[in-house]
Amino acid sequence: MARPLQNSAHMLDRTDTPAALAPAAPAGHRLDMDGIRVRYGQATAVDGVTLSVEPGEILALLGPSGCGKTTLLRTVAGFIRPEAGRVLVDGAPIGHLPPGKRGVGIVFQSYALFPHMSAAENVAYGLEARGRPKAEVIRRVEAALAAVRMEGFAARRPRALSGGQQQRVALARALAIEPAILLLDEPFAALDRALRLDLQLEIKRIQRRFGVTAVLVTHDQDEAMSMADRMAVMRGGRVEQVDAPATVYDSPATPFVAGFVGTSNRLHGRVEAREGADYRVRLDVGASVILASPRGFAVGERVLLCARPEHLALRDATAETPESWPARLRISLPLGPALVHDVEAGATELKLHEARHGQPPAPGPVRVALLPTARPALFPAGDDA
Amino acid sequence: MTEQGAWRLALPLALAQAAFFLAPLLLLAATSFATDENLGSLSLAAWADVLGDAFHLQAVLNTLRLGAVTVLATLLLAVPLALLHLVAGPGLRRLILLAAILPLLTSVVVRTFAWIVILGREGVINSALLSTGAIAAPIPLLQTEHGLVLALTQIEMPLMLLPLIAALRRIDPALLDASSALGASLARTLRKVVLPMALPGLLAGCTLVFASASTAFISQSVIGGGRLAYLPMLVWQQAMVVFNWPLAAALALTLMGSVLTVAAALSMLGRRAAHA
Amino acid sequence: MTTLSRRTLMGAALGTLGAAGLPFRAAQAAGSMTAAVYPGGWDEALRAVLAPALKQAHGVDVAFEPLFAVDQIAKARAARGVAPFDVFVLDPGPRVSGMDLKLFEPFDPARLSNRARLPAGYSDEVGAGVAAQVVGIAYNPKKVARPAGWRDLFKPEFAKHLGLTGFGTTFGTISLIEMAKSVGGSEADMEPLFTELRKILSLVPAVAQPAAMPGLFQQGQIDIMYTNTYTVTLLKSRGVDIEFAVPETGAAAFGTTMHIAKGSRNIDAAYQYIDTMISTPVQAALAAPPYSFVPVNTEVKPGADVPMKSIDDLRSFVTHDWTKINPQRPRWIDRFNREMAK
Repeated sequence: MARPLQNSAHMLDRTDTPAALAPAAPAGHRLDMDGIRVRYGQATAVDGVTLSVEPGEILALLGPSGCGKTTLLRTVAGFIRPEAGRVLVDGAPIGHLPPGKRGVGIVFQSYALFPHMSAAENVAYGLEARGRPKAEVIRRVEAALAAVRMEGFAARRPRALSGGQQQRVALARALAIEPAILLLDEPFAALDRALRLDLQLEIKRIQRRFGVTAVLVTHDQDEAMSMADRMAVMRGGRVEQVDAPATVYDSPATPFVAGFVGTSNRLHGRVEAREGADYRVRLDVGASVILASPRGFAVGERVLLCARPEHLALRDATAETPESWPARLRISLPLGPALVHDVEAGATELKLHEARHGQPPAPGPVRVALLPTARPALFPAGDDA
Repeated sequence: MTEQGAWRLALPLALAQAAFFLAPLLLLAATSFATDENLGSLSLAAWADVLGDAFHLQAVLNTLRLGAVTVLATLLLAVPLALLHLVAGPGLRRLILLAAILPLLTSVVVRTFAWIVILGREGVINSALLSTGAIAAPIPLLQTEHGLVLALTQIEMPLMLLPLIAALRRIDPALLDASSALGASLARTLRKVVLPMALPGLLAGCTLVFASASTAFISQSVIGGGRLAYLPMLVWQQAMVVFNWPLAAALALTLMGSVLTVAAALSMLGRRAAHA
Repeated sequence: MTTLSRRTLMGAALGTLGAAGLPFRAAQAAGSMTAAVYPGGWDEALRAVLAPALKQAHGVDVAFEPLFAVDQIAKARAARGVAPFDVFVLDPGPRVSGMDLKLFEPFDPARLSNRARLPAGYSDEVGAGVAAQVVGIAYNPKKVARPAGWRDLFKPEFAKHLGLTGFGTTFGTISLIEMAKSVGGSEADMEPLFTELRKILSLVPAVAQPAAMPGLFQQGQIDIMYTNTYTVTLLKSRGVDIEFAVPETGAAAFGTTMHIAKGSRNIDAAYQYIDTMISTPVQAALAAPPYSFVPVNTEVKPGADVPMKSIDDLRSFVTHDWTKINPQRPRWIDRFNREMAK
């Protein structure tokens, strides 16, 4: 039933929009957000955000609710006029343009399909509003529905479509107008988990194929990880870090990022000494570890160590070493090929990930050690807000 | 669809409907075909008097036109008000709703007599116009169809505004954003998205206002007066003063039939629009 | 004592049921009954004056059912001739209808102790007169000259202030008959009335339901109307500029009568009720403000707005034969509707 994707993409007539890309050679458009500030009354929702989205790239805006990510997206879309700052597409400011003239396609969290129109009518809506000739509208609607593998559902009303199907139609509608920028507002929030991964992969594939620059708003780190080329982690209206997902995970810029993206074990300590380029840190739990850090610390400074679960390992309670510290294993849970250990060291709770070999260890006294290969992030203690 | 015998649950309601609605209605129909209220002998005289008489037919037309014009007038006011309510802040929203339901909170008699004070020869409107020099002599408002429509527009407004506001509130605001992002103008958004989605509420409002305005006995007789002939007044007169019950019954059934026809037409329009 | 108090209690309880509008046959106990009464002023006056007097004189409790005259007839008709109350109070038109429909018990005036205080002809074999209405022309002296008579109402200078009401009420009917007579018509020939009305119709500021007339007068929409003295007194008491003019051909008068409903089981109480109604103290109290009824008791002096010195003057007023009017009224009503329609 489904047509090959390159075929359907090819069907989209793009010759009349010189700025658009050839399907096989994604070039896309560049989006810049320059010093954007949005205030609602006294509250600052977006506090001076400057971000660039490279042509053909997916940038995820990731953060907890209220961090300003949706406000930022709506500012790019043109629904919100920022108090300060500019939005530029290919270097040209678009702040004066209404949403419909900005060349943005939006997939809303609720999909926002018009319930009184069929899937085809929904997809045709933007083209008709732009006054395209009827024959062209029909051709493009067919192509767009085919691109999302919904050509068999053209006559259905949204009510008669599943959540995933509705989302495909919403995507087709957004892409049919050949936007320079595709904005995705929590597009998977209303779908169940099993369906999400499939659709995430498919949307990414379609986006690649169309070469459209995309901004994805999400509070789900897995979604951002799997879809985005880069992610901007936001908090309180500011961007804390913009990097490739793996970089954000491996080298979080702040304790907040470390905590929000992936699981993080927080260990407090003090810099004991410098050892070459590394620091010897005395942890409060009772161990002394040697760490590398791009940041500079003074001897005696209080620090916060954020260790991933896979950075730590269980040791036998009797194997006392200076690099390990005493703890108590509360429970071990098998999680696929891995084991998750729930451990307490005094008042500090720790989560450990290890490969599973045989039976899980019994609860009781253990020691926890930082793996020599691990590169946990080290922050000044004051950063721990 | 459900269990066998589920219809039995609806039986008490059906019986009550039969006893208290259907039976009197049948009695009314029977009376309209009789020579007197004792159902003595069969006669088509009453119906001949209604359907074969220019004055009575004119009264039917007047009544239907009054309903239609009132619907148009309330629509003209209610649509902008409902849209304003949609985009307004909470304070203005409360004000609009309060103004909308205010007519429901006053008795029909008080409302009607208040309109005499407003529309009268020495009423609020004429006094204001005279004092500004806009008119040289009082213009007739009371006892005219314009005046009656004006009063009915205020009296029936909640029946139009409330279903309309409810219908508009049910529209997901994201749909309006989506329409605008897809390049539609405000007018196109209103025509293609808001209007079709508000249509059920709109038609419900039209039906309610039509039925209510065309049967508004007190407003019609007090504000409209004796020179405007509407069916409800004629029904009352024939039943209560003249004691010509067959004619009263025939007129009442004519009134009911015409109102129901219009209501059915509106509802059919709504269904067709929903499936279009 | 025990018996009496129990009876009183029961009467009160049944009276409450009656007042609640339940289709309950009038109270069975000897000391209680139900009477129809016009809504508004009459209801208020009879509850305040007649009910306590009846209780005091005869130990009878009365429950009132507020209904206009036509509604009383309609209710009795709808109930196949058996009224849901014991006593009617009616104008002449509905009275004749009631007689035609045989809605009344035979009436024996000899059973009224106050019969001698009624003028001759005020009690007969169907009922007794309990009040009168005097109908003439009401006008606003600050806006228009005093009309001399019914004929004046057709002159443009009066017509442009005139409020018309149709044949739906007794006062409307007899006023229109008097207007017809003033332009050469009669009870048998109303054609001249309609001819003349057609000429002034474009000038007339209101053609309204009778109940709307006082409001229209008060608001200045109309400054002349035909009405009864009771309405004039009422509006005057509210500060409206209004005076009553007796037409040169004489004011018209008609009696308000009470009748015992056919099949009533409280006949004794009903006679006592009517007898108390025409008694001197009750008539005197009802003739005084704020009620200002026109009395029928020869011992009572009429109020200030009533254009007569004593009840004997009633004889000089214009009266009408409702047995002739009633058969023609449906036709007149229909004709009036059509003539007035724009």
